[in-house]
This record gives sequence, C-alpha cells and structure tokens, in this order.
Amino acid sequence: MNTFVNRFSTNNALSVIRKAQAVVDDDEEFSDAAWGSEAGFGSLAKGVPSFSIPAVHDPTAFLRLHTDDHADPNCRIKIQHGTTTLAFRFQGGVIVAVDSRATAGSYIASGTVKKVIEINPYLLGTMAGGAADCQYWETYLGIQCRLHELRNKERISVAAASKYLSNLVYSYKGMGLSMGTMICGWDKTGPAVFYVDSDGTRLKGDLFSVGSGSTFAYGVLDQGYRWDLTDEEAQELGRRSIYAAGHRDAFSGNTCNLYHVKEDGWRFLGNYDITKMHYDGPGDVPGSAQVAYGYDVRVEGRTSSNPPAAAATA
Amino acid sequence: MECSFALTGKGYVLIAADTTAARSIVKMKIDEDKIKSLGPHLLMAYSGEPGDTTQFAEYIERNIRLYQIRNLYPLRPPSAASWIRRALADSLRSRKPYSVNLLLGGYDTSNHTPSLYWIDYLGTQAEVPFACHGYGSYFALSLLDRYHDPEANLEEGLAVLRRCIDEVSKRLVVSPGKYRVKVVDKDGIREIEF
Amino acid sequence: MARRYDSRTTIFSPEGRLYQIEYAMEAISHAGTVLGLLAKDGVVLAAEKKVTGKLLDMSGAKEGGYGGSGEKIFLLNSNVIAGVAGITADANSLVNYARTAAQRHLFTYNEDIPVEMLAQRLCDMKQGYTQFGGLRPFGVSLLYAGYDPHYEFQLYHSDPSGNYSGWKATCIGANNGTAQSLLKQEYKDDITVEEAIGLVLRVMSKTMDSTTLGSEKLEFAVLTLDRNTKLPKAKIYKPAEIDALLQQHDLGKKDEDTEMGSA
Repeated sequence: MNTFVNRFSTNNALSVIRKAQAVVDDDEEFSDAAWGSEAGFGSLAKGVPSFSIPAVHDPTAFLRLHTDDHADPNCRIKIQHGTTTLAFRFQGGVIVAVDSRATAGSYIASGTVKKVIEINPYLLGTMAGGAADCQYWETYLGIQCRLHELRNKERISVAAASKYLSNLVYSYKGMGLSMGTMICGWDKTGPAVFYVDSDGTRLKGDLFSVGSGSTFAYGVLDQGYRWDLTDEEAQELGRRSIYAAGHRDAFSGNTCNLYHVKEDGWRFLGNYDITKMHYDGPGDVPGSAQVAYGYDVRVEGRTSSNPPAAAATA
Repeated sequence: MECSFALTGKGYVLIAADTTAARSIVKMKIDEDKIKSLGPHLLMAYSGEPGDTTQFAEYIERNIRLYQIRNLYPLRPPSAASWIRRALADSLRSRKPYSVNLLLGGYDTSNHTPSLYWIDYLGTQAEVPFACHGYGSYFALSLLDRYHDPEANLEEGLAVLRRCIDEVSKRLVVSPGKYRVKVVDKDGIREIEF
Repeated sequence: MARRYDSRTTIFSPEGRLYQIEYAMEAISHAGTVLGLLAKDGVVLAAEKKVTGKLLDMSGAKEGGYGGSGEKIFLLNSNVIAGVAGITADANSLVNYARTAAQRHLFTYNEDIPVEMLAQRLCDMKQGYTQFGGLRPFGVSLLYAGYDPHYEFQLYHSDPSGNYSGWKATCIGANNGTAQSLLKQEYKDDITVEEAIGLVLRVMSKTMDSTTLGSEKLEFAVLTLDRNTKLPKAKIYKPAEIDALLQQHDLGKKDEDTEMGSA
C-alpha cells in the first residue's frame, strides 16, 4: 500500500522552501486589510495566502523527523494515511461517499471520522492523506469561498474553488503537505467533480476514488457506473463501492458516509455501518435490494459442485 | 505487470493469465503461455521471478506426471495443491528459494467438484472461490466479491472474467495486453478464445 | 544339498527358489486364520487368535488395545485396517512402519493414503529383505481392508516375498484352503456388509479348530462409510461386542450361559 501512500508524501527540496518563503514574504506586503479592498476586485496577491511556515530552521526536515515516513515506524507523530473516498458525476448530480476509519500505523485511531468536509451548502471536499492538512485547508478554502461570494455577489464555481486549493497546496509543495481530495459541487455549469492533490495535480472528471482502498472501490464503481444511473442506483453504487473497499482494505472501514449533491446543494443521506452492510445489507434505503453485501452471505448454500443427476440422487 | 485471475463456476474452473514476458522495461514476448496442464483435470497458472517460474512449474509438472505413471491415477486437486504447497514451503527455507506465485484449478472427478487454490511464494495456501495474483488483485477482488457466482454457467463466468480484465486494462498503469484463458471441467482442459 | 541354499535369503537354489521365503510362507500357513471379504458397501475382516494357554492373562485385552483389539487386527490409518498372520513380532514392526508411511503421506498430500499405495509401501520394504544380504524376510502376510476415493472399498493381500494382490474375498493362515473354497462357493458380487458379516462368521466357525466361537479366539472388524460424513469409518469390535455379534448369528457359546437359561 505504500505506493499509494507515497503519492501523498513529500519530496525534499530546500530550495523549494526558500522559494516559497520568498513568495510568502512577498505576499506580506499586502496587509490583511488589503483583502476585499481594491474596489471589490479582491486581493491581487496572486492567490498566495499570507500563511507563514513553522518557525523552525527547516520545516521539511522537522516534519520528516517527527512523522511516519515508512522508513521509520517508530516516529512520534503518525499521519492518517489509509482511506477510501469516492465521488462521481452522473445524470442526477454528484454522489460523494467515504469511509470513516482513521489509522495511525497499524492502530485504528478512530472509526467515526468525518471525511467529507462541508465547505458550504454547495461544495463538498473529501479527505484523504493527512487528516489535519485536509481539514485545515479545506476549512480555509471555505473561508475563501465565502469571501469570494461576498466580494462578487455570486457563488464560486467548483472549478475556481478547486483551482484555489490546487494553487495553495502547490505553493507548499515539497514541505510535507499530504492531501488527496475531491472538490465536488454544483455550479452554473451543473454538477462538477475535481481531483486535487498535494503534488499540485488538479483534474476535472466524472469519476474519482482516492486513498489506499481506492482500487477496490474502483473495481465495483467502474463496473456499475453509467451516466444515466437513477438517483437511487447511484446512491447504492456509492455505498456498495465504499463497502467493497472497507471490506478488502485493512486501512479503510467502520462506516460509510453518503452525500448527494443536486442543483439545490448537497444533502447528507446517511451513515452506514460496513459490518452491518456485510451481514444484513444497508437496511431500508432507496435503491437497495435489501440484501447483504457480503460475499459469503450472498452465495450461502450455493456450490460449484456439479454431480450428474444420477449421482446426486444416489 | 503480471496478472492472473481464476474463478470457479458450476462444474468448472476458469483460469486466465497475461501473456507478456517482460525484462526490465522491455516486452520480450507477447504470447507466452503461463498456464500449465498438470494432468487431465488440473491447471496451474504461475507468475513471479523470471526463470524461477518455468523451472518450478516444470519440476511440479514432471513430479505430478511421475505420480500418475506410478499409481495409474492422477493426484486429486486437493492433494496436488498440498504437495505443491509443500514443495514451495521447503524451497522457502532452502539456500535459493523459488519466488513463484500460483493459481491451481482442478476438477475432482471422484466427487464432481471444481476447486481452486491460491498459493503464494511463501507457501501460503487457501482454497477460494476466486483468486488473483499481481496488481490486478487490487482491482479485481472487490469486483469479484460483487459479481462472482459459484453456480454461474461458463458463459456467465466468462462475463465476470471479462469484467476483471477490462477493469485492470482500464485502471492499471502497466496493464498487460493479452490474456490466455483456460477452463477445466468434467471433460478435461480446454483453451478458450477470449 | 539343499542346506547350502537355505541359510541366506539372497541366494537362489539351483532350481531357482528362494527357500527362506518359502519357509516364511510356511510359517504363516500355521498361523491363526485371517479372513477378509469385500462387500459393495464395506469390507469385513475376521481373525483367529491362537490362545497359547489357559494361564495367559487376557484381562488387558478386554477393552481392546490401542488402534485394535489385540494381536491380529490393527488400524493402520483412518481408512485402512489390516489383519496379520505370521510372526507377531515382525507384524508389530510392519504395522508401525505402515502407520508411519500413512502419516507421511498425510503430511505431504493432506489426504488419507490410497489403500493400494499403502500396500505397495509395505511390499517395497518386504521385498527389500528378500534381496539384501544377511537379513531374513518378514514372516508375515497381511490382509488390508480399506477405502479411498479412487477405487472405493478394497481388499489386498501381501506375502513375505513382497507380492501383493487385490481380492473380493480371501483368507490367509491355517486352513486357508478350506476357507477359500467356502468363500468361492458363497460369494456374491453385490453382497452387502450385513450379509458379509454373516458369511465371514460362518466361514470362520467352520475353518477354526474349536467347535465354538468366542471373543477370546476371534477378532473382528468392519470398514464402512459414515452415513453423515461419507468418510471411511473403521470399527474394530471389542470382545463384548464380538460375543454379542456371535449370539446374534447363533454361533456363540451355547454350552454354559444359554444351557442354564433355556434348560
């Protein structure tokens, strides 16, 4: 799984920090008061926030020293890595589904993590990689989106919001941020999903899954996905895919949180226990056939044995 | 990257393995058969360290054949699996262990039951309804959890196998191009054009 | 001078015979009778114990020994029982070898050893002693009653030379000629275990020297498939069970108990 984890880890480059510091220093020419001035056209500070880096000699080295590089399992701080999140666009909007497990090494630190960050009533962000990084920066993104609304009297587009986040994390590239997120929402253009990660990658697409369990989710998701899925079918597919990952990936599990974004904003559909889905199914929910998801439960009593009719009766 | 899949259905086992032989970043061959017939009702797909794979597979093939010559009847699939597992487990603690992963599919004519064994290079053995080796397993296992049916007929089984291969082709960065598919059932072993 | 070819097993006589092996077989034909019968749903074994004297303490054999009831019938593996005729000490050694061979097969193949293969293992060993210098052959013949999924129920016989053969019904030890001709007359191809038990007991009662049968002279075992698990199940009868079985077939002792009861 380290290959997937690596995707969200860092590359060291002191020069990058110096460059970033220079940019941040540069940005300090603009005081906080400058935000929202410029005759309502917003800050001209190139979208680089006035966020200073930790007051240590070398932040990257500091982070390396104290967090769990897989080379050193005995470190002090372990960052949440294992996760399954997914989001997809379809005829009826956007489905966002995530698991709720937080792991620190082999330890399950929590089974009730909220991995969907409600940026505003029209925007959702998902959380994979460093939990704190995602939580902090997506909340921060929420602030910026609200400011955008206040300044422009219009909701920020999903494209713009995701671009803001992408630029932001890119400015910290090489300094240890670890995020793999999907910014999902509904704007003038309709439903939209963007994948943004701490490398600075930003991708527009119909279907994404992120985290250590993403491959397992993809397996179910890809095979069941169609653009013209009904709302109920789409919700069931999201749930089913998170279940699949929760079942197969040791670093994902516990419960599934499900959201549906439509024209009038997102709606939280529910929290589903993965063990319960395995043995009993998701319960009385729209789109569900009300059967258990678990393989063993599903095929109970079925056998590949194929004795000829005569032998079977004997 | 090497991928192999296998699944059981009503009265048969399907085994698929990619056909590329790669060395470094070069494809040396694109029609290599990595599924051996070990008997009239026994198939083995092998993958892993180049060199080890063929050497080990041939060693197994010949010993299984020897058993059949000596005793007139072939080893039944569970016994063959146990013996092969032991060969790997013994090899693991030798000076130069074989790094070979196996999928063993067989049809037991004495009780009309198909069986599939997943064996890795450490000598881990498990009897399973479906199995994969290689990076393909990350994509195919959840899919098989969802779509596999132990009572599927051959056509339905092939459709599920097709899903696995399509998914890996879609998502895996270094996905193999072609696969060879074989089936073993009461009538013996056949290759299926896929 | 025949003596010149008697003393060592590895030497052929000018007539092309291996005397030591023939002597071993001769020893067996004086041993207690062992009779095996293959039915369509099981195999039956019976063996005659030669009671060496009245003072022999038989109290230990009441409940049956480990894996068998005593001297003649042994459980070799969960799917094979064997009856032995010949030198008891040699037989014990062979039984131990057979049990080890069966376990070795289980270890490598994770299945019960096929019956014929077990017979082969023992015969390979027996044969070795007819060829390598300075050793005497095993003075033992065995009947193997077993089950495996390849050939289902089977009955084999092996002799000191290392020859083995499969049978529908056969007999070794004293009076084996009489028993075999009786079996030849009475055997039917689709005989059931129940019928086979009766037949075996009848033949035994006719071949054995004593007029009445009893648990002190008879060992008895049946191999069938368990109704539920479909796995082979060997039942080696305990002395009390043998007596009950004999009563049931009207072959038990009538002289003491029943005489008093009925008279």
